[in-house]
Amino acid sequence: MTNISTNQEHPVLDVESVSKSFRGESALQEISFTVPEASLTVILGSAGAGKTTTLRMIAGLDQPDSGKVTLSGQDVAGWEPKDRNVAMIFDNLALYPNKTGYDNIASPLVIRGESREVIEERVAEMAKTLQIGHILQRLPKTMSGGERQRIALGRALIRTPNLFLLDEPLSSLDAKLRIELRAELRRMQRDHGYTFLMATPDFNEAMAIADTIVMLREGKVVQTDKPQKIYDEPVDREVASFVGAPQINLVEARFMSEGDDIHLLFAGTRLLIPEHFKEIAGSESRAFELGIRPENLRLVDSSDATIKAAIIDIESLGPKSVLTVQNDTAELRIMVESVDTVDLSPGQNVGIEAVNLNKLLVFDQTTGQRLCSLQETAF
Amino acid sequence: MFEKKLSPLQTIIMAVALIVVLFPVFWILMTAIKPPTDWNASPAIWIPSEPTFVNFQTLFDPDALGEYGVGGVSQPATKAVFGSILASVVSTALSVLIGLFSAIGISRYGNGSKLTPLIILSGRMFPPAAIAVPFVIMFSNVGLIDSYIGLIAIYVAVTTPFSTWMLKSFVDDLPREIEEAAMIDGRSKLAAHLTVTIPLIKGGLFATTMFIFILNWSEFMFALVLSYSNVSTIPVQLAKYVTATAGTLYGVQAALAVLAMAPLVIVGYLIQSHLARGMTFGAIKQ
Repeated sequence: MTNISTNQEHPVLDVESVSKSFRGESALQEISFTVPEASLTVILGSAGAGKTTTLRMIAGLDQPDSGKVTLSGQDVAGWEPKDRNVAMIFDNLALYPNKTGYDNIASPLVIRGESREVIEERVAEMAKTLQIGHILQRLPKTMSGGERQRIALGRALIRTPNLFLLDEPLSSLDAKLRIELRAELRRMQRDHGYTFLMATPDFNEAMAIADTIVMLREGKVVQTDKPQKIYDEPVDREVASFVGAPQINLVEARFMSEGDDIHLLFAGTRLLIPEHFKEIAGSESRAFELGIRPENLRLVDSSDATIKAAIIDIESLGPKSVLTVQNDTAELRIMVESVDTVDLSPGQNVGIEAVNLNKLLVFDQTTGQRLCSLQETAF
Repeated sequence: MFEKKLSPLQTIIMAVALIVVLFPVFWILMTAIKPPTDWNASPAIWIPSEPTFVNFQTLFDPDALGEYGVGGVSQPATKAVFGSILASVVSTALSVLIGLFSAIGISRYGNGSKLTPLIILSGRMFPPAAIAVPFVIMFSNVGLIDSYIGLIAIYVAVTTPFSTWMLKSFVDDLPREIEEAAMIDGRSKLAAHLTVTIPLIKGGLFATTMFIFILNWSEFMFALVLSYSNVSTIPVQLAKYVTATAGTLYGVQAALAVLAMAPLVIVGYLIQSHLARGMTFGAIKQ
């Protein structure tokens, strides 16, 4: 048994250009990221992006084809999972179906050969923290999704690993419980200074709890940043669409200079853009794709609006509503206050204008790369 | 399990099916307790008027049929019974053990090649008779003929593909994360399989063991061609109850068949809940 001691000089986890393929099909390509101590890092990506493979290699359940995984400063190549001192919660939880809640939680201690008294005391403590005293004597199949979730959490928390790997741990729960438990996870992580690496396909979840988001797509890390930065300054078109609901509007647009002024042409409108935007505009009348988040569009009096369009759908999200509007050149989603939609109905014509111009995003039409935001040029 | 009522038509179909399946068993049970005069009487005697245990006695005392004027039974069945127990128990244990580790290996650490099932099952794709003669020659040369080691070796070779493949399907049905959780929680890979995988496929293990045991227990051809005098099994012994004077000793054959069936029926009854679970294992995933 090798015991990894926490070392201040090293991040808890360092993944360096790790690649993995299964039967000739590449699952991960040269991914790199680090997880600092006492942080919550989220791997965000759609199904098949390589999230589970990444976690499995860190846990030692799969071996990377190339690259290096370092845990607390030690290269763990070839180490068995049991020697890595990581805990993992699987997406299907993987509780022992033939063991009671108590025995599930106690199992890591039993394997370590702890005495009965110690085990009883620790499990009782854990049961109190997670409020699961009433289900300890039951088998997993008689528990609800949330109860199983807590048992799995208890089994991971009962020992003190250097790193917790959580693979879509909340995916099997209903919406209300998911939000409750993710807050609880976050609080527990902060209170105890645990280091969490969590995989999820849900950007809301990632935005809500992550210190850092590692954006994974088709086996590649495309962006690693703070949640807000990923939202405001996505590295490309795909990240911009993945993060944010309702989805960002992507419309074809063009720059046009007239004397010293530069105009932005999109959705049948024309905006005056400050001079310093020139760098991105580059050569005259360059075409590109414009990203406007739905909250940066608003309804205005249709007589003096720059964009005129017809409503095709109204979707209420409670306090806010999403309007989908369409004109000859574009279809746009607009986030509005629900109170403003009372008089609106599909088919009606409305006027729209863009606000917060510094939040506009500009993407290359062919590569999808973000060219540079107005905000970055402005400051 | 099923509270559903059957319609009259369904009841009739079930009754016919049951009669077809159970009639041979009934006939063997009856024949086993018939005196020699009733064995092949015409018209058939369904239920013997004077039930007797003389057929069973003959199994252990070849001269017991003397009182009915039937002689020439060469040897008692004792040796065949013990021979069958030895060969079947040992070869079943080995086959299931090898199959279990192969199944876990293929299911968890295999490369998922489509060739694997073909390679494993190809050994079963030709009639056993085709390999019987080569085995007689090879076994004669290496001194394995007419020995239990030889018989067990061939039984293990023949049944291991089955046990491997059956057990693999049970391991496949078990989410691998359950044993991986144990590995992360501190078990070595081997220990995780021993303490988590195997207990969780217990039902499948029982079902497979039963299946393989029946294959070995009822095997006739290899036991016949690979044995002379040292080795004997029940199926071979059954074929020996033919005398020059009295023809085939149906009653004695039936008695030995009853004796051979009894342990399987009893064990099958005892583990039936496991067998049923073995068949439906995929459905109890969490």
